[in-house]
Amino acid sequence: MDFWFSYITLAEIYVLLGLSTNLLVGIVGIFSVSQAAVFGVGAYIVAYFLMAAEPMSFLPALGIAAVGCILLNVLVTLPSLRVSGDYFVVTSFGIQLLATAVFTNWTAGTGGANGLPGIPPPDLFHHPLESTGQLTLLCTAGAVLGCLAFFLIMRAPFGRLLRAIREDELAVAAAGKNVLRAKVSAAALAGAFAGVAGGLYATFLSFIDPSSFDLDASILLLTMVVVGGARTLAGSIIGPFLLLALPQILTLLDIPTTIAAAMRQLLYGMLLILFMMFRPQGLAGERL
Amino acid sequence: MTAYLEVVGLEKRFGGLLALQDCSFAIAERRITCLVGPNGAGKTTIFNVITGFLKPEEGSVTFRGRSLDGFTPQAVVHTGIARTFQNLRLFADLSALDNVMVGLQRQFAEEPLGAIFRPLHAARAQARRREEARGILAHVGLADRANERVRNLSYGEQKLLTVARVLATGAELLLLDEPASGLSAGALDNIMALLRRLQNEGKTLLVVEHNTRVVQQIADDVLFLHQGHLMAQGTPQEIIADPALAEIYFGGAI
Repeated sequence: MDFWFSYITLAEIYVLLGLSTNLLVGIVGIFSVSQAAVFGVGAYIVAYFLMAAEPMSFLPALGIAAVGCILLNVLVTLPSLRVSGDYFVVTSFGIQLLATAVFTNWTAGTGGANGLPGIPPPDLFHHPLESTGQLTLLCTAGAVLGCLAFFLIMRAPFGRLLRAIREDELAVAAAGKNVLRAKVSAAALAGAFAGVAGGLYATFLSFIDPSSFDLDASILLLTMVVVGGARTLAGSIIGPFLLLALPQILTLLDIPTTIAAAMRQLLYGMLLILFMMFRPQGLAGERL
Repeated sequence: MTAYLEVVGLEKRFGGLLALQDCSFAIAERRITCLVGPNGAGKTTIFNVITGFLKPEEGSVTFRGRSLDGFTPQAVVHTGIARTFQNLRLFADLSALDNVMVGLQRQFAEEPLGAIFRPLHAARAQARRREEARGILAHVGLADRANERVRNLSYGEQKLLTVARVLATGAELLLLDEPASGLSAGALDNIMALLRRLQNEGKTLLVVEHNTRVVQQIADDVLFLHQGHLMAQGTPQEIIADPALAEIYFGGAI
């Protein structure tokens, strides 16, 4: 039973990350490969405040993480307003490497490569949530709220504006719309999603280290969006649930644990290539 | 009397190329003015300067007595000027209706907070604006194509849609870049009738056009541009009758 709860909880956290990535990459067309870095900052911020000498309660810490990640994501997305398309991928790649370097080397803040163990469980209004079932409920609430926000945005004029920006920024400006403001708003939202996901992740696992927030993790997020389906809510849900099931399926096969991690990366990479080639719209999405 | 739109002494360079030099003209309200001239005369560059997409090295643009110096493209739209593009620049993956709705100004929930925290109000407001957009589509003759994706529309329909998107902004001065090029005879009559109708409804049109038949039929005034400079202006008859201009325009073919 606990196995299922953990799988669902983790998938729900990745749904929030899928929404974040889908919003930027799928809908606005800002090809970010650094969403895991923002996710990591959210996780470390929440861990920091929960483990402080005077521990903060969970929701305020999560709020601070969300605000921090909004600012950070707007900042790292800003180059996309000047640098277009392919060049931004390189910029974003650099941002991801920079973040990994900070997570790994800033031992005082992040515990370095050894990570941060012993993060306390989240609490709601001073009631600690300790059972896996309670944590699952919390993450379900987070994912449902995230999906609701995504749904409301996509059917509002704001969603239409973002889709139009992806197709032709110049034409959007000629229609009297502020492209810069719309992009910054989208980046802020994507940052909030990633920050909340980070906070939930840190408290759910009670241990974080840089390997969860590195380039591989960013590429996993892209794979989830591509396989699930870009630009749709359904795609952002299907992708994480499917890709997180893969490692579990692999454990059913008789593969030595030493190569299991490598097998997983291999599989993710192959999925990304195959979907891009044969089904770029993913399982439930639109063509990227 | 102050001119409706006045352009004074525009100069624009692209590297070594002088696209506009000392270009000045004025257009009158509620008239259709055609901007003609050979390829490379600077017609589209003028559109880009007026609408804030390009900054001129010299000169000024004044609309209803107000300088547009330093205005961004979106600020220009808010003063009441909107443009189409020669290569259309429609949102190909969106429906015809959505293309028009992107043009509507001052929409509720065109930012995330309104969309998330006041969803019911957003839905009601959007339903009203959708009707407004349907009305605009009907006005250009695309009522039955509202939910079609742009990529499935014919070229003629796409041209009409660019006019609809411009109308959605509520602009009074419409800059249309070759609205009639590449159209069949039927579609051509269609769009000329539409331009006349817009004029009767109080719009002012500045139109880049190559087709002399179209110019003769719709233009009240013609501005003849050559090498980035206003060479002549007058009625369509005066411009077409001038042998020196025909020589420039047709390169001596006539």
